[in-house]
Amino acid sequence: MEDGNFLTDDFLRQLINVGEVDILVGLPTHNNAKTVGSVVHTIRTGILRSFPRERAVIINADGGSRDGTPELITGVSIDDVRRDSGVYALRTLHAISTKYASTPQSEVAMRTILAAAELLRAKACIVMSPESESITPEWVTNLVRPVYSDSFDLVSPTYHRHKFDGLLMTNLLYPMVRALYGVKIREAYMPEFGFSGRLGSQFLGQNRWNDGIGENGTELRLTLAAVTGGFRICQSFLGKKDPVERRAADLVPTLRHSVGVLFSALESDFNAWSTVSGSQEVPAFGADPEVALDPLRVNRKRLRDMFVRGVSELESVFQTILAASTLVELKRIAGLGEEEFRYPAELWVRTVYEFAAAFQKSVISRDHIIQALAPLFRGRVYTFVVENRNGSANDVANNIESLCLEFERLKPYLLEIWKSKQ
Amino acid sequence: MNPTTKDALWYKDAIIYQVHVRTFNDSNGDGIGDFLGLEKKLDYLQELGVNAIWLMPFFPSPLRDDGYDIADYDSVHPSYGTLEDFRKVLDSAHQRGIRVIIEMVLNHTSDQHPWFQEARISQDNHRRNWYVWSDTDTQFKDTRIIFLDTEKSNWAWDPASKSFYWHRFFSHQPDLNYDNPAVREHMWNVMKFWLEMGVDGFRLDAVPYLIEREGTNCENLPETHAIIKELRRRLDEQFPGRMLLAEANQWPADLRPYFGDSDEFHMAFHFPLMPRMFMGLKLEDRKPITEILQQTPEIPPSCQWSLFLRNHDELTLEMVTDIERDYMYDMYAQDRTMRLNLGIRRRLAPLLNNDRRRIELMNSMLMSLPGTPIIYYGDEIAMGDNISLGDRNGVRTPMQWTGGWNAGFSSAEPEKLYAPLIHDPVYGYPAVNVAAQRESEHSLFHWMQRIIAVRKSSAVFGRGSIEFLYPANHRILAYLRRLGNESVLMVNNLSSAAQAVELDLRRYKGNVLIEMFGNNLFPRVGELPYLLTLGPYQSYWFRLRRV
Repeated sequence: MEDGNFLTDDFLRQLINVGEVDILVGLPTHNNAKTVGSVVHTIRTGILRSFPRERAVIINADGGSRDGTPELITGVSIDDVRRDSGVYALRTLHAISTKYASTPQSEVAMRTILAAAELLRAKACIVMSPESESITPEWVTNLVRPVYSDSFDLVSPTYHRHKFDGLLMTNLLYPMVRALYGVKIREAYMPEFGFSGRLGSQFLGQNRWNDGIGENGTELRLTLAAVTGGFRICQSFLGKKDPVERRAADLVPTLRHSVGVLFSALESDFNAWSTVSGSQEVPAFGADPEVALDPLRVNRKRLRDMFVRGVSELESVFQTILAASTLVELKRIAGLGEEEFRYPAELWVRTVYEFAAAFQKSVISRDHIIQALAPLFRGRVYTFVVENRNGSANDVANNIESLCLEFERLKPYLLEIWKSKQ
Repeated sequence: MNPTTKDALWYKDAIIYQVHVRTFNDSNGDGIGDFLGLEKKLDYLQELGVNAIWLMPFFPSPLRDDGYDIADYDSVHPSYGTLEDFRKVLDSAHQRGIRVIIEMVLNHTSDQHPWFQEARISQDNHRRNWYVWSDTDTQFKDTRIIFLDTEKSNWAWDPASKSFYWHRFFSHQPDLNYDNPAVREHMWNVMKFWLEMGVDGFRLDAVPYLIEREGTNCENLPETHAIIKELRRRLDEQFPGRMLLAEANQWPADLRPYFGDSDEFHMAFHFPLMPRMFMGLKLEDRKPITEILQQTPEIPPSCQWSLFLRNHDELTLEMVTDIERDYMYDMYAQDRTMRLNLGIRRRLAPLLNNDRRRIELMNSMLMSLPGTPIIYYGDEIAMGDNISLGDRNGVRTPMQWTGGWNAGFSSAEPEKLYAPLIHDPVYGYPAVNVAAQRESEHSLFHWMQRIIAVRKSSAVFGRGSIEFLYPANHRILAYLRRLGNESVLMVNNLSSAAQAVELDLRRYKGNVLIEMFGNNLFPRVGELPYLLTLGPYQSYWFRLRRV
């Protein structure tokens, strides 16, 4: 798609009518009619309650919904014709929508939102998930305010999550981003976040759109761009987040959009991350995130079975990706009984780092590399669940911290294999 | 005899200029404006183009509330001249086609009025029942206090007669007792006195408060409406073509009854609209304006709203929500000394940061929205205010005629002026005065002359219907005014930035737009949305003409 006509004429006309805004809420959707209604009402409440004087707009970038999602969003507009008797607004609140393609791609949605933010000269922007059933009006406040009032450029969320929710975050993305980039951002691959117009514009201009690397996962790239660009980053506690049910088949696409994007970024960001040692806290607003401990059924047997089968079936793939010693160790633990099976932190970190280096060298198709990580990740999840099955919130936090430190400790190993691969 | 009262609906086409005799022009050099001074300036008002003046109270008064505390209804304050001087003003104005509306404070008198002085002598005095008395201060407890900054109660203790008297405004303004037929009869006779002299109408002050009833908020009561109806009946019978204008700071729905079935007031101020015009401008959003006008009920065909931007009082924020009031204070009165009661005591130009474009835009809306516009004296040259003066006196300083001695207002020594002149570098009389603006072709004065002339060129503004267009660009306030075959289109850009707007004018397909200030043709209306671009705060007035 050409830059010049990336936005449709109709959407451009809508943007002209909206005009300059203070706050922009981006809402990427695709067939979210089940949840999006309550999400946009909550967003509107948050804006009217906390920012009644600011010029605000809700922008929906829809990937071709067939369930009436866009109509549910545009329906929350408030102006002098469409009024909601239960809502008082000082000024007009636009909610506009554009369909960008027949195939939903978060990259296109994000690019649309970023382009709109730049055209409308939005000071503070947030992106919200259309399927977040936990959202409250305070989420809007907590994501907007650090940008709008405290001049932060990126607001990363923290949540009150279940200890077994967001395991890709706790076992890979958080510790790896922390170890390599030196910042303790808990949710670098986030469904909700805030950013400044300044960061958005820079990212829009510099990002290599349509380069085929991460057609999704723009959120993570934005985070890494903020880190490497020296932008002011903070975390803001939003509250409780209910786990979203995922099918096992969702893991590979998720890995592509998150780990794939991270691995890809390591290549371009080498100068930035290779010189970093240790990690720093980022300013935080609101409560400290804690994990919930209520019982949650996890099919551990299935996790282990998928690990064992993966190690067996993908051995030839692993031979091109992993060091021989790592593969030997993986095969050894794959042979352990259910009670003895553990995927220890050090082995997990070495595995991830070796995958990253292999990705950089493209020893095989990069997509195959990402797919091959899936069964190993399941093995790691099995171990995390077992180790924290009876753990207190503090125990879980300590275990995650230990893993992070392991990632930091082994960072020289990554540098070593990264360079040797070169 | 008033030669201008041929058309009974004259007030619909009027452009009213609000002036206080004291502030306008001093003919005898005592430092206080007077009737003979005003008479000398009627040519100026004619030149400006106004066709009615509203004179604020000029009656004998201790002037503790700028004349709204009347001590004698049948005379004029000696500082302003004599009854004969007033007659001269009346006749001279009529000769120029300018009607004269005077103030009538029905609700209360000064505590110095002989009626009250008699009433307090003893509880048996025959005037006693002309006012509202009580042994306690607990009656009518559901009634709000209007002057919150100065009054703690609507009752005041009278040590002379050892009882409480009722007052809705200052404690030195006791309310008359309209349950007393003698009071009602006497107040009609007061009005008759001035009508026989030739005044064209009354602005009746504080009308919602005439009657008190326990268990109510003592406002807008049916008995009050009955009194108004009786006054109107007598007015129509004995003085046809004269006009009553209600001052009732109420929500539109509560105001509507004051028009009755064309049997109460001819006109009423639209109080809630004014703050929302300022709010819409600051928000750069038409919503506050269109919303309040959508909520404004239909009024009988012979009735009319009276619109204003500023007047002698504070910019009242009684008829707004709390969130709107906070916004207005923060946007227009960050300095707390600018705030008074529930309002902002500032003139138009300082409220708008002396931004000529915004002043023009606000006047453009004032002149084109449905109603009769009222211009507060001095606003036509963007006079400033002096917030260091107490109460609302900061917006009541002498008119600035020239850059010379005392701004050309008076030959007195400056310290003898009733109020100090505005001296600051931006709004001071050397910079802002009538003489200088008359000299400059592009002055606000000349712009006001032009917009008044354009407004007077068509009855559609005073008498036509209104239909809002709702273009998707919310910064654009666009509406059609129609009367008979005539249609005009007004497009106002509330934004500080240039805007593009698409208007749905398909119903007018084939018409051309004629810009009314320059009589320039704009493209013909077709099937497609009509695209206009407007500069910051720009407004267009178009006549629609099929050619």
